[in-house]
Amino acid sequence: MLQIEIDHLNKHYGGFHALKDVNISIKQGSFVALVGPSGCGKSTLLRTLAGLEKTSSGDVRIAGRSVIGKPPRERDVAMVFQSYALYPHMDVEHNMNYSMRLKRRPKEEISERTRTAAETLGLGNLLDRLPKALSGGQRQRVAMGRAIVRNPKVFLFDEPLSNLDAALRVHMRSEIRKLHERLNATSVYVTHDQVEAMTMADHVVVMRAGVVEQQGSPLDLYDRPANRFVAGFIGSPAMNFLPATATENGALVLDNDSTQIGLNRHIAAGCKFWIGMRPEHLSLKPCVNDMAIDATVTGIESTGSMTFVVLEVASQPVVLAHSGRPETRRGDQVRLHISLDNLHLFDRETELAA
Amino acid sequence: MKRYVLLILGLAMTAIYLFPLYWMYLTALKSSTEIFQYPPTFWPSDTQWNFLEVWKSRDMGRYIWNSLLIATGVTILATTLGTGCAYVLSRVRNVWIEIALFAILMMQVLPSSLMVTPIFVMFNQIGLLASPRIAVILAQTAKVLPLYIVLCRATFVQVPRELEEAALVDGSSRIGAFFHIMLPLARNGILVTSVLIFLQSFGEYVYARSLIAKNELQTATVGLQTFMGPNANDWNGIMTYAAIYVTPILIVFMLLQRRIVSGLTAGALK
Repeated sequence: MLQIEIDHLNKHYGGFHALKDVNISIKQGSFVALVGPSGCGKSTLLRTLAGLEKTSSGDVRIAGRSVIGKPPRERDVAMVFQSYALYPHMDVEHNMNYSMRLKRRPKEEISERTRTAAETLGLGNLLDRLPKALSGGQRQRVAMGRAIVRNPKVFLFDEPLSNLDAALRVHMRSEIRKLHERLNATSVYVTHDQVEAMTMADHVVVMRAGVVEQQGSPLDLYDRPANRFVAGFIGSPAMNFLPATATENGALVLDNDSTQIGLNRHIAAGCKFWIGMRPEHLSLKPCVNDMAIDATVTGIESTGSMTFVVLEVASQPVVLAHSGRPETRRGDQVRLHISLDNLHLFDRETELAA
Repeated sequence: MKRYVLLILGLAMTAIYLFPLYWMYLTALKSSTEIFQYPPTFWPSDTQWNFLEVWKSRDMGRYIWNSLLIATGVTILATTLGTGCAYVLSRVRNVWIEIALFAILMMQVLPSSLMVTPIFVMFNQIGLLASPRIAVILAQTAKVLPLYIVLCRATFVQVPRELEEAALVDGSSRIGAFFHIMLPLARNGILVTSVLIFLQSFGEYVYARSLIAKNELQTATVGLQTFMGPNANDWNGIMTYAAIYVTPILIVFMLLQRRIVSGLTAGALK
């Protein structure tokens, strides 16, 4: 069953076209991540779902009912803000049950549900504290608690973890995911961090400049990026791109280099491409169905378990991911082995996958 | 070293600033001959305690009651009208709002002495002068409202918009969000601004002098004039009157001082 349907949605701010013909369908109970660089319209889209922004054209349906023109309170959505937006003059308990007090629920129900939500999030002993007396992580939990006590149709998250330190962020990531699985509510999660999107979501929507560039399951986007932007945005370290031109015999020749790459597929001669290679599909040792190019090691970044070797190939920087510790040093001349089964091709003019 | 120089400089400035206040209390306590003595004395040699006498002879209770009534009326009216206005001006951004803000700031520039003639003519025509204290309340409200709106708007601007949005998503109406979230958070600023306009209205002179004809409806500032005769000036009496009038204001101000300072700088630091 579809919980949220976004249909040909457009949003203009004066002369600025912030959302361009956005179409997204979100299944009941799924966890959707909206991801993209800043200014891509992902937060605008989320705020449109919440009813905090007016739409210019198109339709938004929540649980089958159009919500265009409806104020936030008639949409039954809960939102966690980036700044948490906790009410500074209310203690944790009142912050969490403000929505139920507005609905004039019975007192017992209010305190019961507040207590349950607080227990779930480990806030049980903080109920009488004011937000200013809480740490960043605790504030984040209160903001989540305020959303879950309501038991809404849809949860909206606007970069909720970006104000936390790295360790806490990784911890909260799995907490949110666990919470989502337990409540089984539909969640829409905005982030600029593609790792967050990949690890948390069932369905990822990549946006750029108000346009949905691609959507699908995380691994689908990773394995089959529709264009160069998505290919470069998803994955860390990012995909490497080398410019190349197709020859008469159906092979590719790297620009600034004479290396030929034979492909077992038909491409028109003279077409210009970007060859996309994921860092983990490159190797310093021979592998199955590969080809080798001369390269120079220009840098080595070790994380302990993984080592990223920065190489220069045809005067282009290329990053290679090596599990373990390779025996190379900066300045070494090496042979770079490229797995031909995992190459991506993008048309240099349209940037679309070829 | 520099710190002490600055401290001494600060104390010197404060002394200059507070000297008239000191002179007022001093003159109130001096006898008539000592007031004109040269060189002047800085501490009364023969202390006069005629506060009660001045209070009774000038019927100060009535004057101060009138002043209180007018100041309270102005404060209630200005806060009621101005708070909503300040809130809207802090939340909506467009050309018309800019023009409105500019017009409001312009209105502040016009002095009471300039406005009083047209106001008198208009109030006379619509019969408002029959209830002169209400006339003064209206005129004074118009005078302080721009200041109130500008200061209150600054307070509302400091309340993050996301708090209001969170309230809307939580199921509140816009009006509910205003009363539950915005108003409590802007409370300090509203309180401080209200105190400022109350004190300003308590010391109002021009409108009261011009619009109120009957002596028994007159305010304390105008009442001070009863000391002025063509031949004699009772400086001791005037200063005693002034001391009685000013002391409660000073006490209120000192009690609220911490709140006022924190209100004016609230939100400057997170």
